[in-house]
Amino acid sequence: MNLIRYKSVELDKKFFLPVILIFIALASCLFAFVTLEHEGHWLTGMNNQVVWGIPHVFAIFLIVSASGILNIASISSVFGVPAYKPLSRLSGLLAIGLLIGGLMVLVLDLGRPDRLIVAMTTFNFKSIFAWNIFLYTGFLLIAVIYLWMMFEGRFNKYVTRVGMFAYGWRIILTTGTGSIFGFLVAKEAYDSAMLAPLFIAMSLLFGTAIFIQTIYYLKSSFEVIVGEIIFKRLRKLLLYFILAVLYFTILFHLTNLYATTHHDYEFFLLLSGNVYTYLFWIGQILLGTLLPLYLVSSKRFENCWNTLLLSSFLIIFGGFIQLYVIIISGQAFPLDMFPGFIENSTFGDGEVAQYIPSIYEFMLGLGGIAIASAVFIFGILILEFVPDSLKDEHLQNK
Amino acid sequence: MKKYEIKLDRRNFLKKSTMVGLASIAPGVFFQEFAHARPLDEPASDKIRWGMLIDTNQCTEDCDACVTACNDEHGIEDFGRPATDTQWIRKLNLIDEFSGKQHSIPMMCQHCENPPCVDVCPTGASFKRADGIVLVNKHTCIGCRYCMMSCPYKARSFVHENLENQLPHAPRGKGCVESCTLCVHKIDRGDGTTACSEACQKDGHQAILFGDLNDPESEISKQLSKFGGKEIRSDLGLNTAVRYRGI
Amino acid sequence: MHKKLSIKILLTFILVFFSNVSITHDNVQHNIPVSSGESCVEPTDVMRAQHHFFIKHQSHETVVNGIRTKKYSLNNCIDCHIKPADDGSYPSVKSEEHFCSGCHIKAAAKVECFDCHASKPLKKVEIENKVSKK
Repeated sequence: MNLIRYKSVELDKKFFLPVILIFIALASCLFAFVTLEHEGHWLTGMNNQVVWGIPHVFAIFLIVSASGILNIASISSVFGVPAYKPLSRLSGLLAIGLLIGGLMVLVLDLGRPDRLIVAMTTFNFKSIFAWNIFLYTGFLLIAVIYLWMMFEGRFNKYVTRVGMFAYGWRIILTTGTGSIFGFLVAKEAYDSAMLAPLFIAMSLLFGTAIFIQTIYYLKSSFEVIVGEIIFKRLRKLLLYFILAVLYFTILFHLTNLYATTHHDYEFFLLLSGNVYTYLFWIGQILLGTLLPLYLVSSKRFENCWNTLLLSSFLIIFGGFIQLYVIIISGQAFPLDMFPGFIENSTFGDGEVAQYIPSIYEFMLGLGGIAIASAVFIFGILILEFVPDSLKDEHLQNK
Repeated sequence: MKKYEIKLDRRNFLKKSTMVGLASIAPGVFFQEFAHARPLDEPASDKIRWGMLIDTNQCTEDCDACVTACNDEHGIEDFGRPATDTQWIRKLNLIDEFSGKQHSIPMMCQHCENPPCVDVCPTGASFKRADGIVLVNKHTCIGCRYCMMSCPYKARSFVHENLENQLPHAPRGKGCVESCTLCVHKIDRGDGTTACSEACQKDGHQAILFGDLNDPESEISKQLSKFGGKEIRSDLGLNTAVRYRGI
Repeated sequence: MHKKLSIKILLTFILVFFSNVSITHDNVQHNIPVSSGESCVEPTDVMRAQHHFFIKHQSHETVVNGIRTKKYSLNNCIDCHIKPADDGSYPSVKSEEHFCSGCHIKAAAKVECFDCHASKPLKKVEIENKVSKK
């Protein structure tokens, strides 16, 4: 039996640049937060029509990825694939970091963040948002316990049970996140049960892509030798998840196109040549789906780590675009209060709302990524998260 | 037989002319609910359901008396930023694509019986009072704006900047979401009407009628049973308290 | 060694950001400007200790239930406690001349009431509003 050995990473010069970047990002995030708290949200690009903007795109990306990245550990604990076992600890750490990052951005953008205690203690249980607060904080707790079961030798036997619980929790959490939009009957772009499974597929895709980037980072900077089996498995996983997201995306839009009542939004998004049309077709479909699909399925690149890394970056880029399109275009598109009538008013009725993101919103969002990275770096420094070797010979039962 | 002979002595003349006189001013008197202030320590009751009937035939495109009145009543400032400035009530101009007919109607929070904004608020700050008025409890609002996303009527606004010189009867502040309160402060002190309705009457248009939907004897109930009242986006099944005539 | 360093950094972070220096109530000076005539709705020591409970309870009753009794109404407090200066101007809530801020600024316990609520009685505010709107 091969015992997997883990190590913690030594603090040295190569952390200098990442830590500086993290520090700058966090400082600017803090600056943005204090400015918005003092001055109000009029400084941002968000308004009374597009009420959620770039910070929410970042926050939801991070939260959805956090859920998906824990899947790597689930494949080992729940689905019993031994080759993934050495990757489980990293999966847990990254999940915690990403979720903290996402939650932080969400909280910092609130109109009254000083009322966080109110948000944590007063609940309206009909609201999916309220449920999400439990689901997200519960997820953190479960991920910590999950890691504890992995680290503590005598608790290893509980990893499967905790892993299954975590898996179920993740499904519900990501369903809840998709349902934030899916439950909104008022908006033509949302109001669909399809958004929940779409978000689950996205979570798996983004989480796996980020994980691949992490493995690459460990491989190139920390002398962790990664064998072919891990490479091939991760590559195939990415392929399946790209297909899953593509399937749900197509199904979502196809179903909408069958309903004449949804045609206005679909036409607006898919054909009308505004910014969202270009983002969707070029950003999300071409660069974020079809190109990585080709790269991870083509025989030409079946042994190329760099191509896999590039695919991951494209997927993450496409993922941001996808969330941007879902969140922003859905709000920018005007409500259809009077079918058959043309509307206009002093409040923007009947018009596509303008949304021009401000620098403050990007600062908040990047702060979330910085926190996630900080948690990751801190974790690998102080505890043994990194597997000593991911060589084929050292993996149990492949 | 002299069936149609009218007896016109002085007494009868005085009786009849008084009746005619009263009948002519009655619409003005009865158009508003009788003002009855609820005792200060009595909570709002679900026996009442406040609502409005808006007769859009009386609205013209160039009139926005209701909007001005609401802004004045609640101290709503114009910051020159229409995308983020608060609007509790607005005039919506409609053109029927099929026939070309135009309407200009006031649009505000519809005070639904099944408000989506109440369903989605994570802290329960968005709530429906017993007498049907949908409000934001600004002590509990965390400013997440989810209710704004869920509103089918774009009724809610977010306060994007620091406010000063708020009016004591209309507390409003940065970071909270707000919308038409059906002038709850006026209702509770017994004014029996809203600022927009009052201004509309003053302007001579009589387009906005406020009253108790649960009282079959109220003017609004009578008008509804006579002329009907259309619910905007009725397919959503929200059973709004604000109804429209003429569209 | 790096583990110990990391733990030290973490501990420093926690200690700096989560320690609170508090001022005990006895240190705070009470320069309460003279209010109008009679006494407050509760004895002074009761008010000092519990005014926030009264306000909080009343806020819930008024907003949610529509109960508008005057005793603990915030506007009622303001009508009595916030008096204009000789020139007719009201103290700003950001200055210590304001009744509430007199203690709250010293105690560094920010009150969020006046983020939304009017910090002065109506008449003067009404006039100011009309002036500012031209």
